[in-house]
Amino acid sequence: MATNPMHQFNVYRIGPEVKIAGIDISFTNSSLFMLLSAGAICIFLLLGTREKKLIPGKMQLVAEIFYNFIAKMISDTAGSKAKPYFPFIFSLFMFVLFCNMVGMFPYSFTVTSHIIVTLIMAMFIFVAVTVIGFIKHGFKYLKIFVPSGVPVLLLPLITIIEIISYLSRPVSLSVRLFANMMAGHTMLKVFGGFVISLGLLGGWLPLSFSVALTGLEILVAFLQAYVFAILTCIYLNDALNLHH
Amino acid sequence: MTNFNDFKTRLKIAKSNLKKTDEDSAKEASFLGNAFKLGTELVAAVAVGTIIGFILDSWFGTTPWLIVIFFFVGAAAGMLNVVRTAKRMQK
Repeated sequence: MATNPMHQFNVYRIGPEVKIAGIDISFTNSSLFMLLSAGAICIFLLLGTREKKLIPGKMQLVAEIFYNFIAKMISDTAGSKAKPYFPFIFSLFMFVLFCNMVGMFPYSFTVTSHIIVTLIMAMFIFVAVTVIGFIKHGFKYLKIFVPSGVPVLLLPLITIIEIISYLSRPVSLSVRLFANMMAGHTMLKVFGGFVISLGLLGGWLPLSFSVALTGLEILVAFLQAYVFAILTCIYLNDALNLHH
Repeated sequence: MTNFNDFKTRLKIAKSNLKKTDEDSAKEASFLGNAFKLGTELVAAVAVGTIIGFILDSWFGTTPWLIVIFFFVGAAAGMLNVVRTAKRMQK
């Protein structure tokens, strides 16, 4: 059981089985770690904003860095029109980041290593951005599929290509996060298994790899959260500032 | 108080240096993020194109043809995605 590198991704039920209209909505280890991440974010931000000093303490400083980081990212990529969406993008970034980071603890579960979780988030963003685009521009939003300056003969083909490109957004967004997290954690587990099977004599090499990979995984955890948030900003920018 | 102006300019220089390094590190992080992005951009569009072809095929009963056509259209869309991402990286 413990040597199977994919065992860490098992989702199992905690507590009683709950079914509503044939859909299993029982509390699982995945839900537990989602709650843990959300709770950790709340505690971290509450501690950070408890004392609002002019010269910030350590917690307040870290909270302010996160705030500035996201605020700067939004204004750089999507402009001032995207200011009202700051709370959403900030929550999204913090949730993905904390889920990734909580997954780095031994014996914990990585919520974002399941494609269903990342796909639901990506689909929500995709639908929301499309709806925002239609609300802001009406049917003019469809111009995003018709680039200007294209010969009439090529227009149907280009439009189909543009539509596929648009539809591929949630897929690439979710697959990137899921694949990165799953591959990294599987690799960590495989190298961990090598340490045990090679024993005291040969186990040092995979152990050193494991240490290096842990560092890399922490970088990837941060980077993927960042990429997820910045792509949301870019999609939002396309919807808010139509420039095709 | 004779050194007051001197201190002000030193503070200004320190602040501008701080700003510069901040921007540099943010840029580097986003380059790495963009590098991770390119691969999935290409694959995702090919996958979506193929799936659309598969669905249309089963609707119209034209089995291998639309899936083949939409595979190549999806590949074109993937290249378009990659070119766009690369252009955004250069900005």
